[in-house]
Amino acid sequence: MKILIVDDFSTMRRIIKNLLRDLGFTNTVEADDGTTALPILQTGTIDFLVTDWNMPGMTGIELLRSVRADEKLKTIPVLMVTAEAKRDQIIAAAQAGVNGYVVKPFTAVALKEKIEKIFERIDAGK
Amino acid sequence: MSDSSKLRLGEFEAQVKDGAVDLINRIETGDFAGAIKIIQDLSESRHNNFYNEVGYLTRSLHDAIRDFKVDSVDQLVDQVDGASKITDATDRLNYVIDMTNRAANTTMDMVDSSVPVASQLQDQARDLRKDWGRLIQRDLTPAEFRELYKRIDVFLQTADESATTLHSNLNAILLEQGYQDLTGQVITRVTELIRDVEEKLVHLVAVAGRVDSISGMEHEEEESEIDDTKGHGPAINSDNNPEVLNSQDEVDDLLSSLGF
Repeated sequence: MKILIVDDFSTMRRIIKNLLRDLGFTNTVEADDGTTALPILQTGTIDFLVTDWNMPGMTGIELLRSVRADEKLKTIPVLMVTAEAKRDQIIAAAQAGVNGYVVKPFTAVALKEKIEKIFERIDAGK
Repeated sequence: MSDSSKLRLGEFEAQVKDGAVDLINRIETGDFAGAIKIIQDLSESRHNNFYNEVGYLTRSLHDAIRDFKVDSVDQLVDQVDGASKITDATDRLNYVIDMTNRAANTTMDMVDSSVPVASQLQDQARDLRKDWGRLIQRDLTPAEFRELYKRIDVFLQTADESATTLHSNLNAILLEQGYQDLTGQVITRVTELIRDVEEKLVHLVAVAGRVDSISGMEHEEEESEIDDTKGHGPAINSDNNPEVLNSQDEVDDLLSSLGF
């Protein structure tokens, strides 16, 4: 299980990386916005995407839409971890096909819960 | 708006009124050269008024920015990192980003180096407790007892050292929180500058509005488009905004109402 963490702040990437490590996911890669994330995704080695929304260059919602529009990438589970908490934005993310939405500041428990839920759904869908 | 500029605009309005009366009189009496002269005078006066006001505001802005640059936070910053002088708001805010970044990373370094220490203590304590339980049950051979005796000694020493390490890491984390004080001071300065500039911009807009009303210019209002795609950043004062969700629970509720 290889996870791509996309956030423009290195500290937030590090926090997420450490929390994921505690949950047993040790294989992670990082990108600082959608533009740098897409080429990594296109290598076809990423199994799970965790992305922020508000980033310079390509935002998280644009990244999500690009992933869903790409025939090879569209099934990758996407978890948004973001400070964006407007009703319309959450609805937009849901419509774009997000698998989970965690608002910052978040707790380790919330992150764990959402990730587990996503995997439960994937397993149930198999 | 400052009293002096109110006065100038008041004078200008009076000038327009007087000029209008004069203008009608001259047109009625057939003095077209005089009428055109009045129109020219009024137009010139209008320009002068506006440019004086722009000049006054530019000077005020310049002064505000210059005052901002030379105040005392520079000294504070220099004492802290001994580096180059921070002389403008952008640099100051970059300094805040650097400070918070460094504090976050140092804190995480300390956590990273503490976690294995705690795990090691936990592992050793669990091992010892297993054998300790057997000792209580009188289930140990004399050889095993001698070995346990030594291990307890080693463990006590490790516990002492580990506690010292954890203590010093916790202290480092505590000290690192000092960034809040320093960045708070810097942000307060930048906030003051913004407030100052805003006040002057509001003044400029008010003046521009008066100039518009005097000159009869009209502008089409552009509707500002709010783009959710670009993001808004963390919600401030979200309690007062019904469009902003306040917690993960509310987000979860909304998503489940959408069939998630």
